Amino acid sequence: MLLPFLFGAAVLIIVPGGITLSLAFAQYDGLAPPRWVGLHNFRSLFVDPLTFIAISNTSLFVALTVPLRVLAALVLALLLHRPARGVGIYRAAVYLPTIIPGVAYALIWLWVLNPVSGPLNLVLAALGMPTPAWLAESRTALPALVAAGLFQLGESFVVLLAGLHAIPRDYYQAALIDGADRRQILRTITLPLLAPWLMLVVMRELIVSVQSSFTPALLMTGGGPYYATLFLPQLIYETAFDRFRFGDAAALTLITLLGLGLGLLLLHRAAGGWGYADET
Amino acid sequence: MPMKRSLLRAGGFHALAGAITLLFCVPFVWVLVVSLRQPGLAPPQQIEWLPNPAAWSNYPTIFAMLPLGNYLLNSLSVVLISVPLTRLVAAWAGYALARLPERAALILIALAVGLRMVPATSLWLPRFLLFSQASLIDTFGALIAPALMGTSPFYVLLFYWAFRRIPAEIFESGRLDGAGAFGGWARLGMPLVGPTAVTVAVLCFVHYWSDFINPLLYLKSDHNYTLAVGLRMLQQLDPTGWPLLMAAAVVMIMPVLALFVLVQKAFVGRI
Repeated sequence: MLLPFLFGAAVLIIVPGGITLSLAFAQYDGLAPPRWVGLHNFRSLFVDPLTFIAISNTSLFVALTVPLRVLAALVLALLLHRPARGVGIYRAAVYLPTIIPGVAYALIWLWVLNPVSGPLNLVLAALGMPTPAWLAESRTALPALVAAGLFQLGESFVVLLAGLHAIPRDYYQAALIDGADRRQILRTITLPLLAPWLMLVVMRELIVSVQSSFTPALLMTGGGPYYATLFLPQLIYETAFDRFRFGDAAALTLITLLGLGLGLLLLHRAAGGWGYADET
Repeated sequence: MPMKRSLLRAGGFHALAGAITLLFCVPFVWVLVVSLRQPGLAPPQQIEWLPNPAAWSNYPTIFAMLPLGNYLLNSLSVVLISVPLTRLVAAWAGYALARLPERAALILIALAVGLRMVPATSLWLPRFLLFSQASLIDTFGALIAPALMGTSPFYVLLFYWAFRRIPAEIFESGRLDGAGAFGGWARLGMPLVGPTAVTVAVLCFVHYWSDFINPLLYLKSDHNYTLAVGLRMLQQLDPTGWPLLMAAAVVMIMPVLALFVLVQKAFVGRI
């Protein structure tokens, strides 16, 4: 009964992974048979300024998105995990943007962020605040994309809710009897016990955020203005499917994966383990 | 005195939570309002809370402007094939994992988690090459293919957790009564994991309904487009066409939203 799953996974994930790995060292346009070229793809990528623009944009996007989303999900989970009347409705509302299809979500934000008639700038103007051109300006385009994506944090929110729920009630009662105040409880009980869950969420957000830039960037800015929102997934997509340079695209994919691996390694270092307090 | 304080605190909580709810939901209310605005009018100069008069005709208009009915049908076909297929494969795999000895199951679970971590970006290109070899490009086959592996290892794990909660004795007695592996799964296992089966079906529906990247990569001809890629065409409309664009977005969101409202307890209620 496991066979269909294992077979499907082999054909759809493991074999493709192998193909990417080997194509990175070959020249292939989809017509002539692939030709082994060693590190040539990487060398030509490293003289292309677009590669560096995409790498630095992607890094910036990830560096802004991951902490903001995890922090927001944590604050919302801490606020909404208590049993209270109507809390289910609040939780559902927080989850709502997460289920909106990516294309519809991007189109909605395209309208919300419209510099002239978008509701955000109408509100800002009514409050007498500055109204930047958001997506049309290279300085604000990337932060605007980050902000738009911030609301789709439902999955991390639910994982953290489950984590908070797994903390035994007795701990809190014992702390209250010992006279701990809310901040002490948060620092010494809640956060340490939530650490493994937080780690899981950070790792997931890290992996997801690299590719989650694709749909919004393609639909909302097309990578512009002046490459200000050109991210690695879009560059891979264009290299492979517009220019048919499959070898270069595979090499770029490999670079993306290496960068992601580096990010996870740094995270592991920074956290000093995978989040379990008894791990050394 | 403490009574009053706790009341005050509860009030503060609801005010804060209400504000958050507003922040997360107001954009969708705006979208609904704009989708009913008269198209062709100059863009509004201030926030409008009610369209005046409501142009319900925007909805028929977009169906006439784009082959939206065709896109809808394509999306529905993809969903109708891939959701049951996913449920079958994922439930089988989850059931088998739950019946395996602990050690073997653990290794396979580690594998499933590892597979879940593979970034989708790295699969676009090789899958394209594989699908062209299998002449699946520009067919729904390319979109449905992931259902063959249960769409996501996560769904397999959901079923595994659900089947693990069922006492082994139930299946043992089933085996003595002459039920094979498949019989035990169908007659004893599945009826006991209803909520999980519903959750997986909903997640899977949302996944295929929203899928933008796969149709973008693997479909070529306009008549095969699903709603997600079809909607991209509307992006070129100028600001006076916003109401039509938002009406199309509403068409795409509504089925997902309706499902979510029906089963939201499965997501956030029971925790």
